[in-house]
Amino acid sequence: MDKITDVQSEALAAVEAAVNLDELQQVRIKYLGKKGAIQALMSEMKSLPREEKPAFGQKVNVCKQTVTEAVEAAAAKLEAKALEEQLINDRLDITLPGVRRETGTIHPLHMIQQEIEDLFVGMGYKIAEGPEVEEDYYNFELANIPKDHPAREMQDTFYIDPNTLLRTHTTAMQMRELEKAKGKTPIKLICPGKVYRRDDDDATHSHQFTQCEGLVVGEHITLADLKGTLEFMANRMFGEGRQIRFRPSYFPFTEPSVEVDVSCPFCNGKGCNVCKGSGWIEILGAGMVHPHVLEMNGFDSEKCTGFAFGVGLERVAMLKYGIDDIRNFYTNDQRFLKTFDRFD
Amino acid sequence: MKLSYKWLSEYVDLSGITPSELADRMTTAGLEVEGIEPMAQGTHLVIGEVLSSEDVEGTHLHITQTRIGDGPDDVLQIVCGAPNCRAGLKVIVALDGAELPDGTIHVRPLRGIDSNGMLCALYELGVDKKYLTEYQCSGIEELPADAPVGETDVLGYLGYDDTVLDVSLTPNRADCSSMWNMAKEVGAILHREVKWPDYAGKADIGEEGTFRVSSTTEKCPAFTGKVVGHVKVGPSPKWMVNYLHAAGMNSINNVVDISNFVMLETGQPLHYYNLAKLPAREITVVDDIEMKMTALDGVEFEIQKGDLVITTGGQPTGIAGIMGGEESMIDESTDSIFIEAANFDAASVRRSSIRLNLITEAAQRFSKGLEPLSMMKAVDRSVQLLSEYADASGFEKTVFYGSQTYEPRKVRETLTHCNDLLGTEFTMDQVREVLEWLDFQPEISGDEIICTIPSYRTDIERPADIDEEIIRLIGFDSLKSTLPFMEATVGRLTPAQRIRRTITELMTGASLNEIITYTLVSQDYIDNAFDPAGEAIALAMPMSDAKKYIRNSLINSVLECVQYNNAHATGACSFFEISKVYGQGTEEERLAIVFDGNIQEDKLHRIEEPGDFYAMKGLILSLLRKLGFTGGRIMIRENTKDTVHFHPYRSAELWMDRKFLGVFGDIHPAYAKKFDLKKPVYAEIKLDQLFETRGTRMKFVPLDRYPAVSRDIAVVTETSTSAKQLMDTISKAGSRLIRNVEIFDVYEGEHVEAGKKSVALRITYQAADHTLKEDEIAKIHTAILDALKNKLKAELRA
Repeated sequence: MDKITDVQSEALAAVEAAVNLDELQQVRIKYLGKKGAIQALMSEMKSLPREEKPAFGQKVNVCKQTVTEAVEAAAAKLEAKALEEQLINDRLDITLPGVRRETGTIHPLHMIQQEIEDLFVGMGYKIAEGPEVEEDYYNFELANIPKDHPAREMQDTFYIDPNTLLRTHTTAMQMRELEKAKGKTPIKLICPGKVYRRDDDDATHSHQFTQCEGLVVGEHITLADLKGTLEFMANRMFGEGRQIRFRPSYFPFTEPSVEVDVSCPFCNGKGCNVCKGSGWIEILGAGMVHPHVLEMNGFDSEKCTGFAFGVGLERVAMLKYGIDDIRNFYTNDQRFLKTFDRFD
Repeated sequence: MKLSYKWLSEYVDLSGITPSELADRMTTAGLEVEGIEPMAQGTHLVIGEVLSSEDVEGTHLHITQTRIGDGPDDVLQIVCGAPNCRAGLKVIVALDGAELPDGTIHVRPLRGIDSNGMLCALYELGVDKKYLTEYQCSGIEELPADAPVGETDVLGYLGYDDTVLDVSLTPNRADCSSMWNMAKEVGAILHREVKWPDYAGKADIGEEGTFRVSSTTEKCPAFTGKVVGHVKVGPSPKWMVNYLHAAGMNSINNVVDISNFVMLETGQPLHYYNLAKLPAREITVVDDIEMKMTALDGVEFEIQKGDLVITTGGQPTGIAGIMGGEESMIDESTDSIFIEAANFDAASVRRSSIRLNLITEAAQRFSKGLEPLSMMKAVDRSVQLLSEYADASGFEKTVFYGSQTYEPRKVRETLTHCNDLLGTEFTMDQVREVLEWLDFQPEISGDEIICTIPSYRTDIERPADIDEEIIRLIGFDSLKSTLPFMEATVGRLTPAQRIRRTITELMTGASLNEIITYTLVSQDYIDNAFDPAGEAIALAMPMSDAKKYIRNSLINSVLECVQYNNAHATGACSFFEISKVYGQGTEEERLAIVFDGNIQEDKLHRIEEPGDFYAMKGLILSLLRKLGFTGGRIMIRENTKDTVHFHPYRSAELWMDRKFLGVFGDIHPAYAKKFDLKKPVYAEIKLDQLFETRGTRMKFVPLDRYPAVSRDIAVVTETSTSAKQLMDTISKAGSRLIRNVEIFDVYEGEHVEAGKKSVALRITYQAADHTLKEDEIAKIHTAILDALKNKLKAELRA
């Protein structure tokens, strides 16, 4: 019987002494294996008197149990230790750069264009398109700017021949859409696109630029509706809380005509560099569609009214992102483009 | 327009309203004031008399004793450097602390000599040198002998106590370039009464004369003239000179000044002829002569057919509405004149004045169109002022050509319509008040308002014009914000708009940057267009050679952009642009893609994705797949279309549904050199075909239920054997049990015979209805190997 106790204490001591899983495995084999010490005790049982067998057997079993548990406990501990060592070995220098993934960017003008498109499409507007090489008829005549009208001087034009030109404003698209509608309302559309004027390129002028105009024609459309619509747009483009202000102006295709100022998003109307201290920035031209324009396009100006507005996208982008030179949009320097490589 | 505050206040009481308040009120009402400038500035000024002036030896300085009042302490020692400084002069003295446009005067010794102020020139008070003589600019101002010593309101004494507002007039408000009309406008803004001078009927004097006026062209519909038998030419009154200066004009003599002054008052350009120098007592306006002529300032001009010309006795004497002839100009010896107040066609005057580069005050006014009554106003006022300030007498009866009738325009509006258009709730009283201040003489009955429009408001034609007046003068602050209440409409993108957005998303996702380049290009870019959209459209009057044509392809603009970025070392480029291109009668939309350098690169992590032919091919095909264009609809074949821009053996044509879409691949090294580029890879693809065609329908195919089996093989074949040949041969031999064939390696070099290459492929077998058995696969696999061997001499690699 003492022998059992000896084997057990010897085994437990060996388990205790094992410093790694390999050593523990040796211990396991030595004591718990088929040819191990505990198995050897079992075989000794045969030679014992019958009445001693049960007690002996029970004792050996307890010994086996105890050693097995001890081995398992030790194994768990050593495994944990080994894993811990492994983890330490796997340590990374997390300060090394991650894999560089260049991401592309949409052009800032198109970023703003899409923003406006999404805003108005959400309100049930469609996006109209039209040719950049345009007829004088749509660019001027239908827009209430007949030949020799002084307003033609407001927009110096690239003519191709006396009847063809590069469109000077996206109003040409509005006129095509009005004509197409053949007097049928409602009309709700925006028309973004490239436009061209004879300007020498400098920091604030570009012979090519981008406009987005909007047009709504229907019954009982009011100037107050124009104000509400533009307020909605200003809040979306320059952040909530924008106010807008109308100032009387003149466009041949609208009457009344207004210049639209947005309360400065940078100083909240208190006055800063961007708004030149006025608290307002001039951003849009707008007005009620001139009755003569409606009539020329086959609408009954007694019955329906409409509003129109137009915004220069370069100006919006320049204000919004503090761009100081309009030529940046067309030079496409990657350092410039990559500024806009993110969600806004 | 330059608006004198002081002059304006002759017609409308501006008391209590500062120039800057006036500017704000005007801007709010639509007359944008862009600047406010005092005519002259200066504090601590006083009129003085130089009692003595001694030269300081070796300098240009003088020591003066200057009296600035009657008291015993009112004689100051002032050092002055002006050459005209001398005893007895009445001068402008700036005392210690005087604030002048260029700074503040501090009393301090000059070269050790005590000096207690400064004697001033007018330009030192901010008077524009263009109104001063050379003599005035070279020294201190010499005031008249009777100038009151001790007077401290020096600006007032000089008549320069005025502020000029720079008003930007919109084309519809040309009427406001007349001071009288501007006064009416200001009166309506401020709700203050406006008084014009009592001019009416002043020209109704004189006996019947012999002078006749006429026109042979409808571009001069009316002409009014008057002979003044005697005038006395001399200097103008000071107030008139000051007002002319405020308006930006110079003083010449009383007669010429009156013609300009009356133009500024009434808006009607006038021309006064030296009657004695006219070869005949007759003026005819014509528009059908060609000749050279010398104008007032001595410059010679080419007159063309269509230019309106004033002739007298068959001799041209002036370009109508633009400039008078030298012969008949008014000078000191003039003693009789002929007044011309005519109406010339606005467009005609504008065209001629732009062509001749003679943008005179008169021409600008004609170009914007005249009001019907301005001719009569101007003649009346001329007679009045000439009588008063030029001793005019010997008038003949006014002569006319053209219609004299004028009927004021009436415009009808209703309060309901006005409020409907504006979205307001104005009352009739509010509306009436605005219209009355505008002199629209509203006649109101019930909802209806009938306005009688003053002659000068030619812009008011329709009810909407009346509504604009109402809202701008009541103010836009009263306007609510509402959204249109109307029939619901569906907003959505068209297929083309959706495709453009998908392209943009895919391209930016693949790390390409979007660019926008100019539409207008040079002759060279047209000569070197890729697959031009048509014969290029040229501008009639280009601004420069670099911007002469509307581009008919994108290639050069895009490569130029890469060139710019290379020159500025901004890093490897991968760009795309979507743009319209134009040819005679055609419009196309195209997508350009360019790579120059690696698309992705990270040395640390050993990642490199070169922007090469295959990157371009993969990108284009994944784009087409994304748009629903796949399989047999797409064809890629050898490029035979354009081997000038593209490398003949490293580029391909892209076709879809048997239509040519474009070319992609390496730019030809010779062409790349033009833009200093090493190995750019480019694609230009027509998009209209994609916009107009529908992608293959999206349909779900049930997932495979039986396992797939893959076999890898490596075959050695001729270098010239194409991947497509290998794949086609395998697919054909393997029939429907082949799910996929993928090339995963191509190798030439060591261990492979020269002129041959080793291609490694993975063939995946799968059946839709059962698990493939080993012998089934073996059979097909053998058939494939046989086919490769027999058809392509491709042997299984040992």
